[in-house]
Amino acid sequence: MSEGPHLLNQNFNCVCVCVCVCVRIKELCQQFPHGITDQVIQNDMPHLEPQQRAMAINKLLSLGQLDLLRNSSGLLYRMKDIQSTSKMKGSDNQEKLVYQIIEDAGNKGIWSRDIRFKSNLPLTEINKILKSLESKKLIKAVKSVAASKKKVYMLYNLQPDRSVTGGAWYSDQDFESEFVEVLNQQCFKFLQSKAEAARDSKQSPMVQRNSSFATSHEVWKYICELGISKVDLSMDDIETILNTLIYDGKVEMTVIAAKEGTVGSVDGQMKLYRGVNPVIQPTGLVRTPCGLCPVTHTHTHTHTHTHTHCVRGCPCLTSCFLSSGV
Amino acid sequence: MTAQEVRLCGLLLREHFGEVVEKVGRHLIRSGAQNLRTLLHETGISIDLVKKSLCVLVQHGVCVFSSGRKGPGSPTEYRTSCDRILRILRYPRYIYTAKTLYGDTGELIIEELLQRGDMTMSSTVKTVADRLTQNMEEGRSMDYSEVSSAFSKLVETHFLQRCPPMAAAATKNGAASATPATPATPGTPAAPVSTTLPTPESFPDCYRVPHVTLIGKGKRRLSNEDGEDQRSAKRAKIDSETHGDEGIYWQVNFERFHLHFRDQAIISAVANKLDQTSSEIVRTMLRMSEVTTSPTATCTKPLSANEIFRSLPSSYNIARPILDQYLTLLVDDPMEFVGKAGESGGGMYVVNLHRALANLARATLESVVQERFGSRSARIFRLLLRKRHLEQKQVEDFAMIPAKEAKDMLYTLLSQNLVQLQEIPKTPDYAPSRTFYLYTVNQLPTARMLLQNCYKTVANLIERRLFESKESKRLLEKSQRIEAILASLQASGAEPEQLTEVEEMITAPEKQQLESLRLHINKLDSAENQVDETIFLLESYINSTVTS
Repeated sequence: MSEGPHLLNQNFNCVCVCVCVCVRIKELCQQFPHGITDQVIQNDMPHLEPQQRAMAINKLLSLGQLDLLRNSSGLLYRMKDIQSTSKMKGSDNQEKLVYQIIEDAGNKGIWSRDIRFKSNLPLTEINKILKSLESKKLIKAVKSVAASKKKVYMLYNLQPDRSVTGGAWYSDQDFESEFVEVLNQQCFKFLQSKAEAARDSKQSPMVQRNSSFATSHEVWKYICELGISKVDLSMDDIETILNTLIYDGKVEMTVIAAKEGTVGSVDGQMKLYRGVNPVIQPTGLVRTPCGLCPVTHTHTHTHTHTHTHCVRGCPCLTSCFLSSGV
Repeated sequence: MTAQEVRLCGLLLREHFGEVVEKVGRHLIRSGAQNLRTLLHETGISIDLVKKSLCVLVQHGVCVFSSGRKGPGSPTEYRTSCDRILRILRYPRYIYTAKTLYGDTGELIIEELLQRGDMTMSSTVKTVADRLTQNMEEGRSMDYSEVSSAFSKLVETHFLQRCPPMAAAATKNGAASATPATPATPGTPAAPVSTTLPTPESFPDCYRVPHVTLIGKGKRRLSNEDGEDQRSAKRAKIDSETHGDEGIYWQVNFERFHLHFRDQAIISAVANKLDQTSSEIVRTMLRMSEVTTSPTATCTKPLSANEIFRSLPSSYNIARPILDQYLTLLVDDPMEFVGKAGESGGGMYVVNLHRALANLARATLESVVQERFGSRSARIFRLLLRKRHLEQKQVEDFAMIPAKEAKDMLYTLLSQNLVQLQEIPKTPDYAPSRTFYLYTVNQLPTARMLLQNCYKTVANLIERRLFESKESKRLLEKSQRIEAILASLQASGAEPEQLTEVEEMITAPEKQQLESLRLHINKLDSAENQVDETIFLLESYINSTVTS
């Protein structure tokens, strides 16, 4: 009689301890989102027996609230995403596995063939699972710009990486070349007007040169204020556009050191751009039709031929060039 | 020498010296050094004509002769070079430059010398004075002294040089090495034997030696002449006296003209890129170093800012601190026309001649790509020039051109040989999936290729011009005849009705045809000159890479 309540008490005690430990471990996990080791739990609750600890952890694992990870120093416990656990309710292990793989891929996404390799499941099975996950709005398929037919999967709430979408220059996998051209022209206009203003200022040559420079931040601000872009452009985007102007031979760039924290400086550097004039006019060769002739290398001028244009010389030189204006 | 060059040389020779000379010249270009016998045998032209053609070529400095390669006593061999023949293409530019620098007198002096190959100073001065007098109003005439002073100015600035004395060269070298285009100096026994022509650059003193002694002679003789017939220059035509400068022949120094063209190109490039004032500073620097810098130097001798300041024409009104600023700007400019050589004397500056030429040649290539394939292809081309080696994907990303278009442009450029492809296999089997394909632009070979294109273009233009004039040969002859008749009628004081009657012999459609022919020929001519500017730039760039 006397033992009964004692036993009951002990049993109850055990369960109570276990729940307490579970709560504490969860707290610890929340405190250290990167995960905790066995040692951490041991230090936190020195009175706890290893058996009890193991029981508590096992319970959490079976409930799917804890992740068991292995790193170089041993085992690591980490809290599972509450959201995902709740979402994954009612899914079988295969679905969980595929979800896990997709989750690991992050915002770069993963191709279905790579899921097959990682999960060792047959492709048909995977397709089925992917469909069901998609219908539950847990994952989404995103078309990659790198290969238009390749779909990559990622978690539903993620923003796809630039390498997948192609950044601001793509809309639905199509490169927006008109948009790029317009931005290219606008940037040049900005730099050109700045250079002209500097030239007209009639100051000393050094000041003129320096005031013709614009930082990439200034160009970025100008483009933003212009409101020609529906998407938000970053400074990097504008710098890519400015680079195309450099390759067009219309703009020069110099890099100067800037104080940390100055607007538009990156790593203590500031990129300065300015519009420049071409060094030469179109060269003489291309002012004649032969310089522009698309078939230059196929023209033969042997005198043995009786062909009319062999006698007359190059066919490009016929009336079109000669009869047009003075 | 390439097929294009040979074709162009042939056309130039035909235009200036006729078909026989063209045949001999072409043969010499193709087969290198040859003696008279083989030349006769292989061309199948009579000995008289071959000899005359060779004379013409030698007179113009196009052909050189030397003793045979088989040792003493072997027959004299004749050689020619494409380079020298291609100069004919640039004659209009030489003449025009002389006109801008030294006025009508300079123009005529250069024109006469170019037309005749080489002349003595006295005969040049006489001919030029006569021609000038003829164009002047009645009662006025051109003074010999004026012409001769212009002549000596041209010599002083090295635009004219003395032909090497033939006899002296022959005796001193023991071989008949007379190279009118290149004043041979004694002590170069290798020259006659070597298959390449000695270039004027190999004799750094050749611009100095001849003219110093001659100026004295020429002046003395000419002042003597002036005293004799000051009243009318025309009388000099029948004057057959000796002038004391017999045997001293003068020729145009093409290399000096080329240096001038090069300087002009650099100056105008600076004016385009920066502004007028900077170009004037560069002009001053180039003028100061004209004498001290050797023609093949990669950059001018260092000039201190103080010196430059002193030499600036006062009309520019550039203050000293402003000059310093301009010089700093020029040094900072990415085209690197001007470089800094040191800090002494307020900063020592040089003009990077060869780098400027390379940059100009690069700009020319870019311009050709831009005009021929559009600005986006030019963007790819410049991108490759800047970044050296790029994969196709990188080209698309950097140039921001959609993959499909970029591929198309790259392949077009590749097929035109403007862009090269470098394969780098990861495994030795060159499997495409395991190979990097890198696109690149090689400036020098591309420039060489474009130069050939230029030669071809000029040849096409000349051919077309010859065709145009051949087509309307009858018409041209008729109009000339009628003009002659009109002139003679006017001289004999004919009545106006008679004149109009003769004038009407050319019908309205014929007149129209003549007018359009004139237009066509002018257009073709100016196109030739424009292409020659490109040729000059590319040639100088290619030559500069050889020497540096």
